[in-house]
Amino acid sequence: MINIKDIRDTARDMLAKGEVRTVIGYRRGSRGMPAEPAFITSPEQADELIWDPTCYHNLSLYLVHDRKISAHLQKNSGLPIAIVAKGCDARSIVVLMQEHYFKREDVYIIGVSCEGTGVLDERKLASHLNGVQPTLAAFDGDDYVFTTAEGEKRLPAREVMADRCLECRIPFPKEHNLVFGDDKTGRQLAEPFAALTKFEEQGNSERWDIWSHHFDRCMRCFACRSVCPMCYCDECVVDSITFPVTQQTSAAEKADRVRWIERSAMRSENITYLMTRAMHLAGRCTDCGECDRACPVNIPIRMLNNKMEREAREKFGYEPGASIGGPSLVASFLDNDPGDFIR
Amino acid sequence: MEKILDKKRIDDWIAALTDWEVLAPALQDGIWTYKPVSGAARLDHPNTRQSPKELTFPQREIFFSFEQIKGEPPKLTQILPKETRHVVFGVRSCDGKGVPRMDKVFTDHVEDTYYTTRRKNVAYVGLACNKPPSSTCFCLSVGGSPVSTDGLDVQMTDLGDRYFVKAITETGKALMKAAGSLLAEAAAADQKQVKQVHADAVAYPQRKINDPDGAPAKLKASFNSPLWDEMARACIGCGICTFLCPTCHCFDINDEVQSKAPLKGQRVRTWDNCQFPDFTMHSSGHNPRENTGARLRQRVNHKFQYFHENFGMHQCTGCGRCVSECPVGIDIVAVVNKVTENVG
Repeated sequence: MINIKDIRDTARDMLAKGEVRTVIGYRRGSRGMPAEPAFITSPEQADELIWDPTCYHNLSLYLVHDRKISAHLQKNSGLPIAIVAKGCDARSIVVLMQEHYFKREDVYIIGVSCEGTGVLDERKLASHLNGVQPTLAAFDGDDYVFTTAEGEKRLPAREVMADRCLECRIPFPKEHNLVFGDDKTGRQLAEPFAALTKFEEQGNSERWDIWSHHFDRCMRCFACRSVCPMCYCDECVVDSITFPVTQQTSAAEKADRVRWIERSAMRSENITYLMTRAMHLAGRCTDCGECDRACPVNIPIRMLNNKMEREAREKFGYEPGASIGGPSLVASFLDNDPGDFIR
Repeated sequence: MEKILDKKRIDDWIAALTDWEVLAPALQDGIWTYKPVSGAARLDHPNTRQSPKELTFPQREIFFSFEQIKGEPPKLTQILPKETRHVVFGVRSCDGKGVPRMDKVFTDHVEDTYYTTRRKNVAYVGLACNKPPSSTCFCLSVGGSPVSTDGLDVQMTDLGDRYFVKAITETGKALMKAAGSLLAEAAAADQKQVKQVHADAVAYPQRKINDPDGAPAKLKASFNSPLWDEMARACIGCGICTFLCPTCHCFDINDEVQSKAPLKGQRVRTWDNCQFPDFTMHSSGHNPRENTGARLRQRVNHKFQYFHENFGMHQCTGCGRCVSECPVGIDIVAVVNKVTENVG
């Protein structure tokens, strides 16, 4: 069981000693139950930090933001940033370091073990509460406890936990400077890729129908891309400008730019967007599930990434975010690769 | 015109609207969406995930097609929207309030033919909120009410086993006339009950913007406040808040080229979004709103200052979608309160 006091004490102490410039964690949101990202910069703010089943966010995204801001301001960021990271979040940080996005010493990882109770899926919860809106969620052993206007409501975590947490193989941040909670690796509640496997039991035409339906519904709000710490490219194929524009860029270059994807939210363009993103996450996605959670129209985006993740695992025995020094999937090859083209 | 409709007969009324294509909220993929009615209409929705703005301002609008054969003058063909008449059932008061705001934008100085063609063919049948459907509702703070009739053609109020149905516009009267004998005269007891239901709805506690009237001036005075950067720190720069908003209307126009030789394609308008980093990107590469703080300020000030200066009303209708659906908890109520409370 994680005691929030430990996390607060750590944050307060590090800030007081001037060891880090910010502690990125979670705090109570202003709109009700869900936690929100917190950027703690002074010891007095440390008591704002919380840890509960609504700490969904993969905060490593903000390490990416920070790096981008320092690059833009051409300013050395100085002291490291401390970050509260769950198992999947810590693996994201590892992937970012594998890709040399920032250095190990730039980050102080305050690991939190999910201890097998993961985080909540609000969509699952809604079906249990019949319109009652909870104001608070808390861990209690294998249960989640919700505070509502109609009193306390207790539910077994596994009934309302996010699928990715049910299927999580390693709910523990192996890469950390400090870690809270017990390592409950092995306490897996569902088979890995269970949702994907179930989906794939259907025939080709059913699967095509389901995904065509979802591709038609995509609004291209890009929440899945924006919330993803791996989608850090400065230029993205879906943007109106897909290359860096400087004062030296000629008018002709701008006018004749290639537009890979039109802005219209329609099936052909949406497929290109979502599939391009899935391909670019192969061997990099640590299944934090943020894309899935953020999608305002409930497109099961995680399934696309899961498909790539399973390919990487089954074909190459590859586990994204396993170690900083390890090879990255698409930038390495095996001497015994069965394909000739690679040698 | 005030009538009573037996709840069980709503489908008969919808069936009687033969000149109209009827839409109503349907629960699909875990979210409520306006869909053409097939079978029984359900009006037990909280609010739809997306506002009904898509009907008058679709995410993709084709303006015209173009074609140029070498040596010949270019050929342009305007493509106006089809004149299908739509009636939308179950529109909540906040979304009704969005309608006159969109009308201002698209008809006040310049009439946008694409918008007006669609607009004159849409009728809104509202459903008053007996209590706020979401904990993020704040219509009372922005000059609205859970029982407001702004923008609606008909307003329905749930009275248990029946609806109190009130015509607001001439179109609304026509819709009600089509129901014929399905609609009974409202009795004095019904009138009394509806008054009570509406009074209870307005008295139901909601989240609050503390000084909505003072907001335009206070926001103007806070343009350079450091709070913008602080409150936008978690913003991921996605389009959820504006795409779901019943009044956000920014768009982009692009030529979608289908063939280079001969040159052939369409000019299309698509939704755009002030939270996207490239929204204000200049051709030089300079971006005047270069961070999330500047972009959050734009969204909030547009709703609570600029629109108010131009049209004398807040552009926000308090539906709360941007609050409940933001993946990182950016909360327009909290932002307006925090920024304005720091001004004298």
